[in-house]
Amino acid sequence: MDHDKLLNLGAELGRRLMTSGAEIYRVEESVERLLSAYGADPQVFAIPTCLIVSVNTPDGHPITRMCRIPAHGTDIELLERCNELCRHLCREPLPLEEAQALVDHLEPDRRQFSPWVLLLGYTAAAAFFSLFFGGGLRDCLAAALCGMAVGACLLFGQRFTGSNVFFRTLICSAVAAGMALLLVRAGLGQSQEYITIGTLMVLVPGMALTNAMREIMAGDIISGLTRTAEVLLVATAIALGTAIPLVFSSPF
Amino acid sequence: MWECFSVYFLPCLWAFCACVGFGLVFNIQGRGILICGFGAALGWLVYLLSTRYLAGDIVSAFLASAVIGFYSEVMARVRRCPVTGYLQVALLPLVPGAGIYHAMQYCVAGNTELFLSTLLHTIGFAAALSVGAMLITSLLRALLPRLHLGGH
Repeated sequence: MDHDKLLNLGAELGRRLMTSGAEIYRVEESVERLLSAYGADPQVFAIPTCLIVSVNTPDGHPITRMCRIPAHGTDIELLERCNELCRHLCREPLPLEEAQALVDHLEPDRRQFSPWVLLLGYTAAAAFFSLFFGGGLRDCLAAALCGMAVGACLLFGQRFTGSNVFFRTLICSAVAAGMALLLVRAGLGQSQEYITIGTLMVLVPGMALTNAMREIMAGDIISGLTRTAEVLLVATAIALGTAIPLVFSSPF
Repeated sequence: MWECFSVYFLPCLWAFCACVGFGLVFNIQGRGILICGFGAALGWLVYLLSTRYLAGDIVSAFLASAVIGFYSEVMARVRRCPVTGYLQVALLPLVPGAGIYHAMQYCVAGNTELFLSTLLHTIGFAAALSVGAMLITSLLRALLPRLHLGGH
């Protein structure tokens, strides 16, 4: 068997799992099981920004591949497809070329919502979270508008917000707080706090904090600490961002 | 009757709708998105009921996340999907987003005492959530190896 191709197969599947937002232990376990199913004895190591896979060829020559993992969101559809393919390959290992072709088709072939549906998702999340936290019907409408603005910034505003997560979050939360302030002043919203918190649920890294804790509990200490640091950074960006409109509006 | 409706039913309905919105953002396709919404509503109902009868919201968070963990594991096994998506979205209403936000607001305002107490409470809350979910996952894995349809 060609161990170079086998290593590529494992690393590519692992990389896709990572970018879909899978937990560290799931990535490590899946790649290990996949390569073991082909008869190799792999070593896999993953942290949120990097994946390293290493196998030994039968004549004792060690080969290693490393993938840098870029910043990514969560894509459950891709995760489910990767998992399904991995389980399928573990059950009946296909020839390496066929398996590699299947892995290559995972990403382009997956179902995706159009940007407008995603915008609707952001709008609905912000609107209903403001109701959930105790806002009234008018707050819900205001939060829907704010959520739509934040969603538009996240989806279409790449050019203006840049790819840095700190500045992107800062700009988005400033937009959210500024819109909330304007809408309350204009008379649409009633409670600025409910509108702002409902909208910020889209940005707030609460999920990331819980995931970080889960990874620490599961024994992936480095990943857990990395994510905790990221949570603190993003939370600071949100607090700074929401402070900007409040500071500038106070003289008026 | 009206109290029951407005205190228990409405928040769960809003949690359901908000989490379906998040499901769209996380690219959950098909029926899975409704399953996530029901998980969120169920978890919030457990949280509301248990804060009424138990002291301390951290214990309630633990209970609610254990129930969500169980629900997600069962659903993941029935549908043969990874549990990640269901768990992440269903936990959203409980996730201490407001806590982090308030803590950092105190931090920026220079109110160190409130910042530290809010931050510690938030971290405790998040830890309770993750322990609850992890506990159920590990228990089910240990107890039901034969039923592990979702496994490899």
